[in-house]
Amino acid sequence: MSRMEKIRIDDLSFAYGKRTILNRVEARFMENTITAITGPSGQGKSSFLMVLNRLWETIPGAHVTGRVNIRFDGEFRDIHHRSMPLTRLRRTVGMVFQTPNPLPMSVAGNVAFPLKLAGTGKRKNTEERVEKALSRVHLWDEVKDRLKDDARKLSGGQQQRLCMARALVFEPEILLLDEPASSLDAKAAAGIEDLMLELKNTCTLIVVSHSMDQVRRTADRVLTLESGELHGCESS
Amino acid sequence: MSRRWIERGFTVFAFAAAGILMAVTMVLTGYLVMKGWNSLGLELVFGTTRPMDALCLRRPVLDGLFPAVAGTFALVALSVSIALPLGIGTGIFMSEFASGALKRMFSLFYDILAGSPSIVVGLFGFSISIFLHRYVSGQLYPCLLISALSLAFLVLPYLIRSTQTALENLPPEVRLTALALGASPVQNLFYVLIPRSLPGILSGVVLSIGRCAEDTAVIMLTGVAASAGLPRSVFGNYEALPFHIYTVSSQYMDSAELATGYGASILLFGVTSSLFLFSFIIKNIATARTAVSGPGL
Amino acid sequence: MKPFFFISAVISACVSVCIVLFMIILGLPLFREGLFFSMLTSPWNPSNGVFGLYPMIIGTLGISSLALVFGFPLSLGTAALISGLAPKPLAAVLRKTVQAMTGIPTVVYGFIGVFLLVPLIRNLAGEGSGMCILSSALLLSVLISPTMILTFSDTFDQVPVKTRMAATALGATPVQTFLWVVLPASKKGLVTGLILGMGRAMGDTLIALMISGNAIAVPDSLFSPARTLTAHIALVIASDFDSPEFKTLFACGLVLYGFTALSTLAVRAIDTVFRSES
Repeated sequence: MSRMEKIRIDDLSFAYGKRTILNRVEARFMENTITAITGPSGQGKSSFLMVLNRLWETIPGAHVTGRVNIRFDGEFRDIHHRSMPLTRLRRTVGMVFQTPNPLPMSVAGNVAFPLKLAGTGKRKNTEERVEKALSRVHLWDEVKDRLKDDARKLSGGQQQRLCMARALVFEPEILLLDEPASSLDAKAAAGIEDLMLELKNTCTLIVVSHSMDQVRRTADRVLTLESGELHGCESS
Repeated sequence: MSRRWIERGFTVFAFAAAGILMAVTMVLTGYLVMKGWNSLGLELVFGTTRPMDALCLRRPVLDGLFPAVAGTFALVALSVSIALPLGIGTGIFMSEFASGALKRMFSLFYDILAGSPSIVVGLFGFSISIFLHRYVSGQLYPCLLISALSLAFLVLPYLIRSTQTALENLPPEVRLTALALGASPVQNLFYVLIPRSLPGILSGVVLSIGRCAEDTAVIMLTGVAASAGLPRSVFGNYEALPFHIYTVSSQYMDSAELATGYGASILLFGVTSSLFLFSFIIKNIATARTAVSGPGL
Repeated sequence: MKPFFFISAVISACVSVCIVLFMIILGLPLFREGLFFSMLTSPWNPSNGVFGLYPMIIGTLGISSLALVFGFPLSLGTAALISGLAPKPLAAVLRKTVQAMTGIPTVVYGFIGVFLLVPLIRNLAGEGSGMCILSSALLLSVLISPTMILTFSDTFDQVPVKTRMAATALGATPVQTFLWVVLPASKKGLVTGLILGMGRAMGDTLIALMISGNAIAVPDSLFSPARTLTAHIALVIASDFDSPEFKTLFACGLVLYGFTALSTLAVRAIDTVFRSES
């Protein structure tokens, strides 16, 4: 299968106040692959993910220069360009955080939230899409009777899968995962890994990970972020 | 579709609300400054008397705000010196020694006191003076002392809260350092805890001064009078800036008197604003001292 | 040292208790004659010897609820801008201005009201003096807004950054995050802010005294004058010591104290209810 480039990063620098976190980084990411990013903690791996959906803009004192191009419908577009609508970008680039962060609403409400934001879909349609998203993360059977419950009542592993379902409801083309299994037990973590391999068929995944085992089992490629530089090597 | 409109509508609504509020505030303060600007000056306070003569009490000021300014000054000094030891002592007790049901009960009492309207506190002060008049001395009437006492009660909860919060917000390691070096709890309190929480406590004190200076309802009931002249004794009547503003608005005789009302309003507004700014600066110093650095994501 | 702190705390607590005790003792004749509760519902009619507080209670409730009706939307909108909707620099300027507004003395508001707002309302009504419940409610709404805004925006800011970020990462705009995430999570703060605003409005004396007209009658329109409990206390205190009017003072004080103690208790109750929920 010949893969195409999905993301091109050129000359990307990220500074937080006076501290440089990324220094003129170059990188390419291919479609339908899993790229793991490792490296010592506190080196800005999370910040790197936040550049890709422009979430860095919400952090006071953060500053980004350089170009990030993402291919939408066969055409590369600079995500920081004025013509790039933020909502479209964030719908296409899904993100799951290190610790589960369900919104303070029901299980179904969480998954339906992106649909609500977009203002699309009738009620029937919404229910279908919620079910589909929850099924994709293998959560549907566990929560189908508790859809109206507060999402914060679910277990940690369930919450994290809920957050993935929420990120998947709009079928993003890129999925950013920030140590998605670090706060979970071994069984739940294995579930997340299987899920990542399934998602590879439809998404480009970038995963920050500390677990070398996890990296070995899932990643097509490993990048190391250290002292503001991204070093890469292809893995098997 | 309709949700889109709610979102758009809300944005417009929020900007309109803030716009209206800001505009109204600008108009109110702007009107005051415009009308009263010309009356500002030494003459506003000292009238035709020479300032030095007035300050040295050589000659009375009959046509200026000097007696009201002096009254307010005396009132603030007296009530803050009554409230200060009591409020800070209580705040220290609440943060360092109180616990369980006692703490909850006391804190409820202070909350209720904080919520009591100033006219009710004034009525309490008035009741005290009735009580003293009947049972202690027939010579006692509402006076400067009673006003100061009532105002002290009014600002007491502010002092308690700011002291308690400042102490409770100290990081645990600050609490333990001196103790680990063998300091007794009382030494720890005086050498470490109080100095470290001083900015927080001070900002509460400054705000209390502002409250004492601006409150009108309490003093109306407890001894302020329209033309009492300079305060002579704590058992006598006195004048005060806020009460002067009130009387001018309801019974001014001519435009000159009205102008002193505008002038007094600007003066009082200026005093409370600068006190407010001052307490704000102190508070910023306090938070900068205890703030944790770093992004903390 | 500890005994000194303990004694201070006891004295401070006593002040709070004594306020209500003194009013009960001085209002005792009313209780003894069983007049207290009938006073709350009867009119003020001195020629018949009836000194009811009904008009003043209605005046207080009317003016302060009206102030809330004006003040609540203003406060909600401004607080929303401060906590997320407005760009950072604008939000900072707004917050500072609102904080500074808390420093404007009530009597200064009243003074400006007498000379600026009252004539405007007089022209608008086309009759009367312009001193009416509308004038005082409008001015009161400006007075109580900072209290509400700061309470609201404190609650909005308590929604964790991580939750806001989750919504933003899903493509929510600031107004969407506010409306669909922050606002539903802030019910407690909204209610608390409303109660605090109401308490502030009911407890204010000077604005009511200076521009509500002080007529003892149940108001029947926005342009009718009214007298509040607080203004009544300030006006009656000057009357004769043994007159029957004078005794109504302490009943007024008790009713006001009751209102504010109730609202303090309500705020606390809301706090515990919401804490046990989450």
